[in-house]
This record gives sequence, C-alpha cells and structure tokens, in this order.
Amino acid sequence: MDIAVSVSGLGKWYVVNENRYRGTLSDVIGHWIKAPFQRARAAPDAASIIPNAIWALREISFEIETGKVMGVIGHNGSGKSTLLRILARITTPTEGHATLRGRVGALLEVGTGFHPDLSGRENIMLSGTMIGMTPQEVRKHEDEIIAFSEVGDFIDTPVKHYSSGMFMRLAFAVAAHLEAEIMVVDEVLAVGDEAFQRKCKLKIRETALAGRTVLFASHDMGSIRDICQSCLVLDHGKAVRQGDVNECVRTYNEMCGVMETEPKP
Amino acid sequence: MPQTFHIRHVGQQRLLDFAELWSFRHLFRTIVWRTIRVRYQQTVIGMAWALLQPLLLTFVFTIIFGRLANIPTNGQPYPIFVLSGLLVWLFVAQAFNQASISIVANAHLVTKIYFPRIILIVAAITAAIFDFLCSFVLLIVIMVWYGIAPSVGALVFVPMLLLAVLMVFGLSLWLSALYVPFRDVGHLLPFLVQLWMFLSPVIYPSNLLPTKYSFLYALNPIVVVIDTSRWAFAGGAPPQWWMVEVSVIVALVFCVTGLWFFRRMEATFADIV
Repeated sequence: MDIAVSVSGLGKWYVVNENRYRGTLSDVIGHWIKAPFQRARAAPDAASIIPNAIWALREISFEIETGKVMGVIGHNGSGKSTLLRILARITTPTEGHATLRGRVGALLEVGTGFHPDLSGRENIMLSGTMIGMTPQEVRKHEDEIIAFSEVGDFIDTPVKHYSSGMFMRLAFAVAAHLEAEIMVVDEVLAVGDEAFQRKCKLKIRETALAGRTVLFASHDMGSIRDICQSCLVLDHGKAVRQGDVNECVRTYNEMCGVMETEPKP
Repeated sequence: MPQTFHIRHVGQQRLLDFAELWSFRHLFRTIVWRTIRVRYQQTVIGMAWALLQPLLLTFVFTIIFGRLANIPTNGQPYPIFVLSGLLVWLFVAQAFNQASISIVANAHLVTKIYFPRIILIVAAITAAIFDFLCSFVLLIVIMVWYGIAPSVGALVFVPMLLLAVLMVFGLSLWLSALYVPFRDVGHLLPFLVQLWMFLSPVIYPSNLLPTKYSFLYALNPIVVVIDTSRWAFAGGAPPQWWMVEVSVIVALVFCVTGLWFFRRMEATFADIV
C-alpha cells in the first residue's frame, strides 16, 4: 500500500508571553542579523534554554496509507491544531519533517475567505478558489453546493443577511466539495443543527471513502469511531497512544475521566 | 505521479518561486476581484468614486495652492498641472497603504490557508492599478477641456509607471513584514504617506527645489514618475535622465532587499499575526 502522509519526529515550539520584540530596535536588528547563524547551531532542545518557550508538539511520527482516515484526538491545547497547521503548510515545524504525496486540502475552519457584503453565490467562488479549487471546479460543483447548503433562494443575497445556521451550512458546503488527494480536517463537523450535522458526517464519510487520505481532528468520539481506521491521541504535544481506534478512544476517555462502555457494534 | 510536498523547518528559499506563484494564480485573481468588488459595494455611485476623489482634490488644490498660494506651474493651467501629478500620487499612496497593511488585514486568511504571502502584496497593488486606470479617464476629459494634446512623453509614461510599481512593491514588502510583529507600523503609515507626498512634486513643480538637492530628490523615484506624467499630459519639461537612473537603482534596491526580508519573515506570519 502507498504511504500518502509520512511524518517523522515533528515538533514545534512557540514562545509564549512573547517579549523578544519588546527590546530596543537595535536589539531586534541584532537578533535578525544573528538569527540565521544561530539557527544552524541551535541545540535540539533550544526550547529549554529560551525562557517562555513551550513545545506545542514534540516527537510526532506516523504514516497514513493512501485512502485511509486517521483521527487525531486530544484536549484543547494538546497540539492537534498545531499538527494540522503544520501539515497544511500554514506554519513551519521547528524540528522533524513530513512528506505529503498529493494535493493537500486544508479545512481548518469553515467560511475561509467569506465576505459578508457579497452574495452567497459570489462567496462560493471566493471561498472555493481560496481553499484551492480551480474556478472550473467551483462552477462544476456550484449547484451541488447550493443544494447541499439548503439556503435556497437566498443564494443571491449578501451573506450578512443570513442566519448563522445558513451561513455555516453554506460555508461547510463549499469546504466539503474540495477535491484534494489529502484532506486535513479540523472540527468542521460541528456546524448547524443535528440534522445538518448528520449530513456533514455523511459527506465526510463519503470523502473518506472516495479514496482520499484524511487526517481528521475531532472531539466527537462517535465520528472518530465511525470513519477512522487509525488514530493518534495527543496530550501536551506528545503522542500518548497511536494505532487502534478503540484503544485510542479509551485512552482519551480515561484522560477526560469519562468511563464509557464499549460501543455496541 | 502526484505532487509531493516536503515540510521541514525553513531552509534556504529562492527570492521568488515563479512556478509556485503560477499555481496560485486563481487565488490571486480572487483576492484582486474581492478587493475591487468590496470597495464599491454598498456605495451609491460605486466606481465613480475613483473619479470623484481626484476631481474634488483637484478642485480644492486649485483654489488653495493655485489661486491663494499662487504656486508657480511653469505656465500650465493649475488644474491640469496638479491632476497629472495627483493621479500618479493617489495610485502610489493607495497601493503603498493597502499593500503594507495587506498581511495584517488578511490575518484570517494567513492563519487558515497556505499560499505564498507575497500574493497579498501584489494583489493590493493590482487593485490600486485598476482604480488608477479608471481615474485616468478624468485626466483625458480635462485635457480635452483645455485643448492639450499628449506629448511624446506619453510613450515613456507606462515604463515609468512600472518604476512606481516597483518602488511601492519594494517598500511595501518591508513595511508589511514589519507590520506583523510591530503594530507600530499601523500608526506610522499615515504619517509616512503624508511625508512622502510632500517630498514628491504633487502640489508644486519639481524645479522649485534648488538644483544642489537634485541627487537627494532623485532618491525618491516618484519624482521622475510625476515629472514624466506632467511632461506627457500637461506640457512640462522631461525629467533628467540621470535622475531616472538613480531612481531605478533605488527602486531595485528596495525590491531585492524587501524580497529578502519578506521571505525571511514569511514563515513566522501565521504564528504571530
């Protein structure tokens, strides 16, 4: 089986309560001049030397086979978003590397690029091309997107007049029609009322079954069990368990202090 | 064979990766379109604002500087003298301002999707060029009104505009990247734009300045651009060639150093914006 995503030793640290820019201007310029030379000989554990630095993610390694769905679970602040942001190339890792074979589509929020003053139809094109579709792809899916979003006749109204539910539905509909070989998905399930959420889950499952490789972060253990073939549990930036989905979910529930009975098949 | 992406800590990057920029052309077009579309959304007269702003400013400047302050114009009617400089200036000011704030203003995109951030700078300048072309109609109308035909300078006006674009691009690369960690830039920008206007021959002719300061004056590339515009459309004298050369060098220095600095800072934008 082909490996679509391979990640090895990935780590990133952030400087919290950042005050390295509070110095005088000459300090700052000096820092910039020295930085490229310092980086080359920086110790791997530079975070322990620099005050206020924390590892948001450390020593993460995994592989995903082409067409498989891997879940990423963990508390808020466990490093899930950092991992997805690195794989989506929004931010760079401090150490380690990742290789992605295929076009990467990132759905880290719904409504990327939406502008309140423009109509629903205009926003479909806007958001669609921004998240990586070609204009031809957007036009091809336009009717499907409108139908999926259930906004009906409001499609030519500026989206600022939409109810928040309508807005979220349209935003999800655009994102869900992105056809990338590798999808990085974060929490986008949680939109709309219960009926629409079910529809979203079905759509994600459809995406996963269409031969795409998906990295999927969620707090909803039901959908993790439903659609993932493997799983990764993060806690304070470290992988505390990875592999079997049911074991991972159990670990996560123990961490949350939830005693959950085994799911009925 | 699908595309393969390697993600690692930022290493050596090329100043401009044209293949990558080309692959993001749809996103670029969308951002330009959105900027122009949104600017005139919910306005009654829409695109006419691109004409009305320079028209009103020409009116005000003609009364204050033309009539009251009696600024010399080398024999040209003040309205056409000021408008031929003002159109260039309004383009520079708008492009510079919008491009410099573009990274911070689009933080919601920078933190959510990947694309070469330089696209935001180029898109802001492109949208300003669009406005400039619209406002150019005004100059043509006033030239017809005063019965002035464009001179041969009109032929070099387009390459000179490119010089202005290069200068704005280079300077915006610096300021937009500095704006991300230092929000002070936001407070500094309006002042810089104002200062730059007074250092450019917008409301006064460039030969008002003693010739011993010509070299310092040439360090501001907008001077020769405005002089070319006046030469082309208002019947002024052509700019001195050596000043053009100095200006081109200045603009190129800003572009290359700006690109270098921007590319170095780019990877941190999503983390600190």
